[in-house]
Amino acid sequence: MKRVFYRELRRIRRKPRYTIILTVGIALSFIFFATMTSEGQPQELPVAVVDLDGSYLSRRLCHEINATQAVNVVAVYGSHGEARSAMQQGKIFAFYEIPNGTYNEVLQFHAPKIVLYTNQSYLLAGSLCYKQLTTIGKLAGGAVQREVLRKKGVDEDQIMGRIQPIALDTHPIGNSKGSYHLYLLTILVPGIIILMAMLQTAYVIGRERQEETLRGLMRVARGNALHALVGKMLPYTMYYTLLMLLCSLIMFGPMHLPMEGSWPLLMLLSLLSVVAAQCAGCFLMGCVPDPSVAMSLTSAYGTLAFTMCGFSFPVDAMPLPMQTFSLLFPLRYYFLAMRDITLFGNGIGYIWPQLCSLLLFPLLLLIGAAMLRRQYERRPQC
Amino acid sequence: MLKHLFRTLVETWEVLANEVRRVFLDKTTVVIFFLATAVYPPLYYYIYHREVLQEMPVAVVELSRGENSKRFIHKLDATPELAVAYRCATLAEGEELINRHQARAVYIIPADYDDRLARGETARITCFSDISSFLYYKNAMFGGSVVMLDEMHTIEMAHHTDAGLDHHSARIQVQPIEVEDVKLYNPSGGYASYFIPALLLLVIHQTLFFGICVLCGDASERHRSLQVIPTHLGSFRSIRIVTLGRLLCFLLIYIPIALFDLWILPRIFGLPQLGSAIDICLLLLPFLLATICFSMTIGNLFSQQRMSTLLCCLFFSVILFFLSGLVWPQPNMPRFWLAASYLFPSTPGIQGYVRIASMGATLAEVRHEYLALWLQTGFYFLTANISLYFIRKFKPQTDH
Repeated sequence: MKRVFYRELRRIRRKPRYTIILTVGIALSFIFFATMTSEGQPQELPVAVVDLDGSYLSRRLCHEINATQAVNVVAVYGSHGEARSAMQQGKIFAFYEIPNGTYNEVLQFHAPKIVLYTNQSYLLAGSLCYKQLTTIGKLAGGAVQREVLRKKGVDEDQIMGRIQPIALDTHPIGNSKGSYHLYLLTILVPGIIILMAMLQTAYVIGRERQEETLRGLMRVARGNALHALVGKMLPYTMYYTLLMLLCSLIMFGPMHLPMEGSWPLLMLLSLLSVVAAQCAGCFLMGCVPDPSVAMSLTSAYGTLAFTMCGFSFPVDAMPLPMQTFSLLFPLRYYFLAMRDITLFGNGIGYIWPQLCSLLLFPLLLLIGAAMLRRQYERRPQC
Repeated sequence: MLKHLFRTLVETWEVLANEVRRVFLDKTTVVIFFLATAVYPPLYYYIYHREVLQEMPVAVVELSRGENSKRFIHKLDATPELAVAYRCATLAEGEELINRHQARAVYIIPADYDDRLARGETARITCFSDISSFLYYKNAMFGGSVVMLDEMHTIEMAHHTDAGLDHHSARIQVQPIEVEDVKLYNPSGGYASYFIPALLLLVIHQTLFFGICVLCGDASERHRSLQVIPTHLGSFRSIRIVTLGRLLCFLLIYIPIALFDLWILPRIFGLPQLGSAIDICLLLLPFLLATICFSMTIGNLFSQQRMSTLLCCLFFSVILFFLSGLVWPQPNMPRFWLAASYLFPSTPGIQGYVRIASMGATLAEVRHEYLALWLQTGFYFLTANISLYFIRKFKPQTDH
């Protein structure tokens, strides 16, 4: 096993190209996700007002929309059609339509209706605009109510209780500002590293088969396929676990992302996830006879992992067969346990099921080794 | 002149036929081109077909047990987003439930809730929500605020009717301006309607890219001239013909695939299809051309081995999806990344397709994207020629 390990190191030294490219790729993705979403939540989203009323009320609404951070009025249109077209051109994400005579109706106590249109094809921008603009609409109503109550002589302390009898404060646990930065970075970057470890392991095994150097490998491993596989995996296990450590250090250190739990536990989790992913890669490589078809399947499985770990669309909302299917992805366990450690500060008492599940993946390695052995025995000349 | 044209056509046909043969003889490209494009979209649709998270289990810590708090809990349970699965008497119980992820959110009704309401003061409810997926947070927040607004309405109405107002006047007092909201294009805010249209385009983009790169890598690996250039052709002309022939080959293969993915599948899935079919086809043509030329350029330059580009598929696919501007809105992207996003045909392709198909835009309303795709086609056609020229010049090769 040691000899296979050294052989692999020599092979990496002779052809360091892919390791370098992948490391640069990982670094670039880190920088990409860190800079792309650095605002935390999108700010100043462009919205518009269709002002058919041209009154004090509509001007005040524009003013109030502009006073918030999340949205910004970029245009005032004279007709519904113009605003709709601007939305379809991607210039705005939402607009308020204030019909003619709205202000007069307010003054006459006729309870006029104003309409908010949001574009839900862009889920994030659409729902942020929706949340912000409905609040502003309600507040506009509140402002009128306040005037009325004041004129009736209700004292200021009681007005608040009358206009807003209930207040609801929602606190997201571990990510108090609801920042996308934290949300995306903490899963996507480790996810990419874990899956890269899997892909590269699969790739180097595939290369042995394609270059027909399997025989040399088996000779070095003294005919033991399991030793051959473990020896080949090991350099990448070490390298990618180190990268995980480095990324975590940067994220939870200088970037100040919250980390409530224990560091050793996070490292143990990272190591187990890298190994589990590598074993899955070895298994796929061993089971599919054509190495480049196997490689395509491995990358398809890897890409699917981001969906199946359930960070964007929760697994509980998927159909039952897919919930079961998600158990086959090491990234799923990493995601569940990482969230417990960093956001909830939970200890091993809470995440042992995930750690144990990850420990089952090395069993796949045995199957992969048996398959590799069979291929070698069938074509010992290669 | 005519004879020259005829010769060019025949030679282009030769290259095309040869390339088609290579595609169908290579197991990997068959898997990528035909299997992936047929399996990925239905699989993703199946994963997301429930669109939204419903009846998310939440816990309520009932420190006050008056009439108002009971009604609040009852209304929470009645929302489609939330289901009150646990009612706890202490904070610790609620905390444990959320730490164990049995409840995705916990609403705490304070001990003075009913008293404050009776005194006409503002009563505060606190909610702690899991945010490991944003949909949990969204459900907790939207479900909670719908109930809050409804309760506010009920309580205020009671105040006014107690003061002797009739129902109609009380309503106007409580709600002097009515806000109606219309959610356009995707009324339920569903995940499949949002994600699948972009995914369809991305699948076409990525399968073309990796398929072409595998073919280029295969040729490079066997030390053949890259695209088997007929030796009797002059150097510059041959390169143009080879690029053109291959372009046509992939275009021919992908027209039926694109029609299947973008025409038949969305109808089977019942996704919103507001745009005109002609506009979609007009957009697809430059999208396919630009993607093929882009892939040939990258394939010629970087693909040395069959499997090597597949290594990059992971971060490439994820990053392209983020660059498309469907997740993080384009106006909020850093300028650098926004500019970089237009290097890839997927960005204008996804933006254009989503706006036409899901939002019913006309081709004129996506003219920027349309123009960008044609510019990319021209640019990458040139680079595909240039890269092939350099490869032929600087790489040793043996024509078979």
